[in-house]
Amino acid sequence: MGKKLIYVILAICLAMAGILIAIIMSEPVANAGGIAHPQIPAMQVGGDGQARLEHIGGLAFMFQTLLLILIICLSMLGVSERYRSKDFIIYMSGTALFSLFCWWMMWSEHRQFMASGETGYFMGFPIATAWQMYGTWLGAIPLILIYSLGFRKYIYTEQDEKDFNKLLEEQNQKPEQ
Amino acid sequence: MEVYRQEIILGAVFIYMVFCIATGLWAMKRTKSSSDFFIAGRGLGPIVVALALFSSTLSGFGFVGGPGLVYSIGVSAFWMVVISSTGYAIGFFLVAKRIRMIAELRNCISLPDIAAARYSSEAVRFLMAVTIVLGVMGYLATQILAMAVVMQAILSGTAMFADIGLVTCVAISSAVLIFYCVTGGIIASVYTDVVQGAIMMIAGTLILFTAMSVFDGGMQEATSIILADDSESMMPFGAAGIMASLGWFFVFGLGLAGQPHLITKMMMNRKISDNRSILPMSLFGYIMAALLWISIGVVIRAAVVGGVIDPLALPDDAASVFLSVFANPLLAGIVFAGLFAAIMSTSDAFLNIGTAAIIHDIPKAVRGHSVKNELFWARIVTVILAIVAASFALYSHFMDATLVALLGAFGWATFSASIFPVIAIGLNWKRATIMGAVTAIIAALVINFAVQLAGIVPPYGISGGLLSFVTSLVLFIGVSLLGAAPELSEDIEKAMDI
Repeated sequence: MGKKLIYVILAICLAMAGILIAIIMSEPVANAGGIAHPQIPAMQVGGDGQARLEHIGGLAFMFQTLLLILIICLSMLGVSERYRSKDFIIYMSGTALFSLFCWWMMWSEHRQFMASGETGYFMGFPIATAWQMYGTWLGAIPLILIYSLGFRKYIYTEQDEKDFNKLLEEQNQKPEQ
Repeated sequence: MEVYRQEIILGAVFIYMVFCIATGLWAMKRTKSSSDFFIAGRGLGPIVVALALFSSTLSGFGFVGGPGLVYSIGVSAFWMVVISSTGYAIGFFLVAKRIRMIAELRNCISLPDIAAARYSSEAVRFLMAVTIVLGVMGYLATQILAMAVVMQAILSGTAMFADIGLVTCVAISSAVLIFYCVTGGIIASVYTDVVQGAIMMIAGTLILFTAMSVFDGGMQEATSIILADDSESMMPFGAAGIMASLGWFFVFGLGLAGQPHLITKMMMNRKISDNRSILPMSLFGYIMAALLWISIGVVIRAAVVGGVIDPLALPDDAASVFLSVFANPLLAGIVFAGLFAAIMSTSDAFLNIGTAAIIHDIPKAVRGHSVKNELFWARIVTVILAIVAASFALYSHFMDATLVALLGAFGWATFSASIFPVIAIGLNWKRATIMGAVTAIIAALVINFAVQLAGIVPPYGISGGLLSFVTSLVLFIGVSLLGAAPELSEDIEKAMDI
């Protein structure tokens, strides 16, 4: 992964830019951004969900998938190359898979609802929305755990602390920059 | 108790404001240098930083605009909130350690200072400082106006202040804000942030329980009512559609690590190792406070759709209607104090970074040194900046809202697009060049201004902020790779190796 990581990040960003251009140039769909509620002022409705996803559903799915991978790549960029060990990469890959799983569940539950018009509920919300709310929130929890619990292993080791203190001492002995 | 509703709310807000003034006086004794004034001398503990970080994230928009957005467009607005866990994680992975290191190595007191140290470039410092000043003016004006509007709503409900004007309310609320920011600088700001954060967490939790009791079937009944009226509003992409939702996820998620008022706080902790506990504490606080955003929005939309209450005149009325109809007076008092806390905690952070940009960074970029007697001028400029922003807010309200709306667009999205690549990626990638940084900042400013000025509305709810963010990311990395590898200062290179 090392020095190639930035190229992966650039490639993902370019792909996302391409998807955005493709969406902007695709055949427009009526009410894609919502319409006024027929009876209630200052409120919007979405209307036909199936129609709104007709031309861009697949592209939007790819956009979010790439974004979730980008988030993991950027987090990895924040860790020094020498600490991107095999176990670290496994943890980060696991985090990516978990957030992609939550995204897939939300997507598939939404499509299922659009096809059948029926949904169950979980903790107050329709299943697809519950995946969006709880799944997205929880999807990043592994990242938080890796950062907090792995802080002295991947982020800022005891040796890093010593090196930094040494650097500070060297800097303090120099005339001010 | 219901008879004294307005008095209880007024009392809670009054106590809160007295606390802010007292904190300003206390912090004044601890503010002896410009470093104390701007970054609290890098001496804050993890709990203080964590609470200051999350309370600055959730502005008045979270308490007023957030529930209003859920009322108006349904679940689309959830995406701005649920991304918080990812946003905080990215911010800490990419920024927290290195910004704190460089701040100590080079004695940096502002974000443009960090950028200048990283790139050895006054041009990057200048562009970042100008971006911050433009953004701060728009943000501050809208925050001060929001504070005054809420104060007017509270005071006009009492017999004594029934006819109070908006100008008076702007003057009162700005005076409190100016007082504690001028006397105590960032020390007063972060310690008021601690209490502000605590109030916001309590308010968010109590509101959630109140919201769940509005319908007999709890939150599920509320969401069922909305679903029966318009299924898309209660499904994951809401009324605004899939690209608007995913765009917010992108801009609010990655963009958190590009917000100057937030990442500047990552320079203030006493020890770098405190970051391991600051991250989970900040996130916990944010989630607790943000419960208010979602629960009020859903319940009010369901109540209106279900005919329990009349339709709102404006979506932003959602929070105040909820408090007056469903909350008992004590809770309403806490939430109104929490609302002021949310607005003030963001405003003081903006005042601080705006002042630093004006008296420290722009002079340094132009003349090679900042002003003499920085602490004195910091206090003067804080007053001037707040007065200009307050005047701006009033001009916008009574005369023409275009200018503030334009600068308001210079808010989150522009900060994200211009600062995230340069700081968040630049602090972790040695190959990043000055040209890459300058190109990314200019592209972000131009695209955001152009979209706003020309009134361009991309299809599918795609925002100008999303377009500018993706563009600046591509340009920053691409332009840097096309140029020659930069030579870094020895200390910065060593810091980036750690």
